[in-house]
Amino acid sequence: MEPSIAAEELYPIAVLIDELKHEDVTLRLNAIRRLSTIALALGSERTRTELIPFLEDSLDDEDEVLTVLAEELGKFVPYVGGSEYANVLLIPLETFAGVEEPFVREKAVESLDKVCVEMSREQVEEHFMPLIKRLTSAEWFTNKVSVTALFPTVYEKVSDESKASLRQLYSQLVYDDAPMVRRAAATHLTLLIPHIERELIVSEIVPWFMFLAQDDQDSVRLLTIDILIAIAESLGAERAREQLFDQLKKLFADKSWRVRYMVADRFEALAVAVSAGDEVVLKEGFVPAMVKLLKDSEAEVRTVIAKQVPGFCQLVDAETVIQEIMPGIEELVDDQSQHVRAALATKISGLAPILGKEDTIKYLLPMFLQMLKDEFPEVRLNIICKLEQVNKVIGIDLLSQSLLPAITQLAQDKQWRVRLAIIEYIPLLASQLGVEFFDTQLRDLYMAWLRDSVYSIREAASENLRNLTKVFGVEWAQSTIMPKVIEAGENPNYLYRMTSIAAATTLAGEVTVDVIKNSIVPFLDGMVGDPIPNIRFTVARSYESVSLLARAKAAAEEERSAAESMISDIILPSLEKLKTDEDVDVRFYADKSLKAIG
Amino acid sequence: MDADVTMTDAGLSTLSPVSHTLSPPSGEIKASPVTDSQSYDDLDRWIEMLMDCKQLSENDVKKLCDKAREILSEESNVQNVKCPVTVCGDIHGQFHDLMELFKIGGPNPDTNYLFMGDYVDRGYYSVETVTLLVAMKIRHPNRLTILRGNHESRQITQVYGFYDECLRKYGNPNVWKYFTDLFDYLPLTALIENTIFCLHGGLSPSIDSLDNIRALDRIQEVPHEGPMCDLLWSDPDDRCGWGISPRGAGYTFGQDISEAFNHKNGLNLVARAHQLVMEGYNWSQDQQVVTIFSAPNYCYRCGNQAAIMEIDEDLKYTFLQFDPCPRAGEPSVSRRTPDYFLVSF
Repeated sequence: MEPSIAAEELYPIAVLIDELKHEDVTLRLNAIRRLSTIALALGSERTRTELIPFLEDSLDDEDEVLTVLAEELGKFVPYVGGSEYANVLLIPLETFAGVEEPFVREKAVESLDKVCVEMSREQVEEHFMPLIKRLTSAEWFTNKVSVTALFPTVYEKVSDESKASLRQLYSQLVYDDAPMVRRAAATHLTLLIPHIERELIVSEIVPWFMFLAQDDQDSVRLLTIDILIAIAESLGAERAREQLFDQLKKLFADKSWRVRYMVADRFEALAVAVSAGDEVVLKEGFVPAMVKLLKDSEAEVRTVIAKQVPGFCQLVDAETVIQEIMPGIEELVDDQSQHVRAALATKISGLAPILGKEDTIKYLLPMFLQMLKDEFPEVRLNIICKLEQVNKVIGIDLLSQSLLPAITQLAQDKQWRVRLAIIEYIPLLASQLGVEFFDTQLRDLYMAWLRDSVYSIREAASENLRNLTKVFGVEWAQSTIMPKVIEAGENPNYLYRMTSIAAATTLAGEVTVDVIKNSIVPFLDGMVGDPIPNIRFTVARSYESVSLLARAKAAAEEERSAAESMISDIILPSLEKLKTDEDVDVRFYADKSLKAIG
Repeated sequence: MDADVTMTDAGLSTLSPVSHTLSPPSGEIKASPVTDSQSYDDLDRWIEMLMDCKQLSENDVKKLCDKAREILSEESNVQNVKCPVTVCGDIHGQFHDLMELFKIGGPNPDTNYLFMGDYVDRGYYSVETVTLLVAMKIRHPNRLTILRGNHESRQITQVYGFYDECLRKYGNPNVWKYFTDLFDYLPLTALIENTIFCLHGGLSPSIDSLDNIRALDRIQEVPHEGPMCDLLWSDPDDRCGWGISPRGAGYTFGQDISEAFNHKNGLNLVARAHQLVMEGYNWSQDQQVVTIFSAPNYCYRCGNQAAIMEIDEDLKYTFLQFDPCPRAGEPSVSRRTPDYFLVSF
């Protein structure tokens, strides 16, 4: 397809071509971003013979421009005339793959990979294989770092003979003198392994792993954890163990904390890949390793291993968890680092389904209660947010008996954000506990939040009445909550009266027109004459929401007339009165509401 | 109080005078509070932007300051304020902590506020902070009172950050000029229900009565000395009579001075800001004077709490303390993060 360009569109193209050469870098950038437009206008032949060579000449531009150019060229196969001409793009991209600036290289490699995907097998053999060879045997490390990423795609598209030579080339990179190259080779080996024939893994790939796993740079060694997982996935667990288990045990106890961090971070995946569920391997190989990592001297390592606990414990039986692993977990509850405790708090509830009811009560509950009292608020919050998992295992009765005292304590926590988290958890808790329990144990606590000294707590408590009403129903809201809200409306402090107006307005969204008319509006109307202007304009604003809500809810004819008579008999006269208030803000909001109600 | 000395402002004596032209004195412009709905819409839009910590355009700042000058020039040197009201101290450009303050005290206009100066300098967001407070003042003049602090001055802002911030954020000093010209119009003090006297700094040996203050011509740069300077610079001290202030401007005054002043003017309390206090508020001089400081972890390093004072409709006061708002993007692991993990994976 050769799209034609109308004459009037050619002028902007000429401008863009000029801008490619402009001395202002932002204009050049702009032109490069629209390179495809230029190519489209030139046609594929002129793009190949003129534009690409021109771009090759501008290769010493600023890194910012080259990054964008390297990216654009990856989308350029259609503009040079389709995949049969794709090789013309390799020349500039090969140069970009060797520059100093990592961003340019990264984009060049991505683009080379895209171009390779589009090329035929013959083209890859003819043009891409030599490119790989050149980059691999380049003097400067940047070319070698770049080329490692290209192997997986190329490997799929070449003959067995070339595959052998690719492995030979990769081997040069693995054994390179420069650590940067070995790091890149190790990183991309993980992605290359799935493409390599299984029967070659032991003879060719395992030696590379062994070499890299004993590298004297920890930044190389830590990358071999993922290689090991990839090899095990390819070979199968049993053959992988024969080859690699001894080396893995060395990595478990590596002297560098960064390597142990990596081991800990991938612990569950390692266990799955290497054990394939073999109990003996898990118990004798992995459980002792986990126990050691739980006691690691570095807080970073303990933080990541804490997150792996439930995932790994799923693989072994509950008895082993309790006997072997639990003591280490119990120590983390008292860890000196708050980050370790916070990490454990997010995950520990995941042990409940593994342990079952009895052992959860015996082992987990004490830890929960202790962490709920942790001095670091994030630990407490993380525990609360995951309570539901425990609830499912031990049931609400036990949960409420054991945890409610802690929740009551947290409900009065000095940190308002902790109180806020509890409020947000209350509707969930309420739905699990039932009306009776809520009314006897939690309602007073809840109502106290409507009088909290911090505005955001009052706001959240009043907002959450909506969710509570959804759980317990309209009748409950009317008989249990409305009286309390009305009571709060008599508070001597205007800020608390304001909260009761907000609460009543929130409830209006959940109750029937009848309740709005008979409880909420009379309550609001009682505050129209409040001595504090802030209360009066809050009522004026609330009248707008309440009127619109009542109208929206009124479905039956009867309800509609009830809503309209409430608006015309009570709300509008009150708003008219407020419209002549002595305070300008009251007048403003009364007028605004009148206009909205219409 | 000793601990405060390192954090107090350097004295005026260390600064060289800056020439400037003053805007015409008040009285010429008849205050016309914002009436048309178009201006309300503009203002509400501006306030919404500012609440997201987005600055206004230079031109909008000019419009804002023009409008604010009309309103502030009508206010008294001793601006009467009704209770209930929530009284706040120094903010110093700590915009996110000002947002935390509103989370604690409630949004304006729902909650009435009185700020006792020092909106700018030191923190990273002086521009957004002062623009927001001025915009709120215009939108609801009866619901918010903003007084002048010693940092609301041309000279001090050139040393402590506001000038540089304006230059950095707008590329020229115009916005700094609009605001510092406006600062001349800010009331010096406020009087809550004739019983609580609020101001930034403290008392002055040249002032016996509130009428002395009412008689001052405030529409000018904060002078180096004299009654207007003292109101913005003085501090209470554990002593008798008047003392020389280590700040190089204003005085220190003893309990006998504040008792006499409160008695003569029928006051219960002097509420002031100006000094870092670790708990956010601090009673002194046998409850004649209270200091309120509303910038938590002042200068992002002092480790202090902040506080605000809620005065209800019966003139009962409650102090609410608060900590800095949690900052996004702070590392969750305190020590070293292995940097190349990010690169490699």
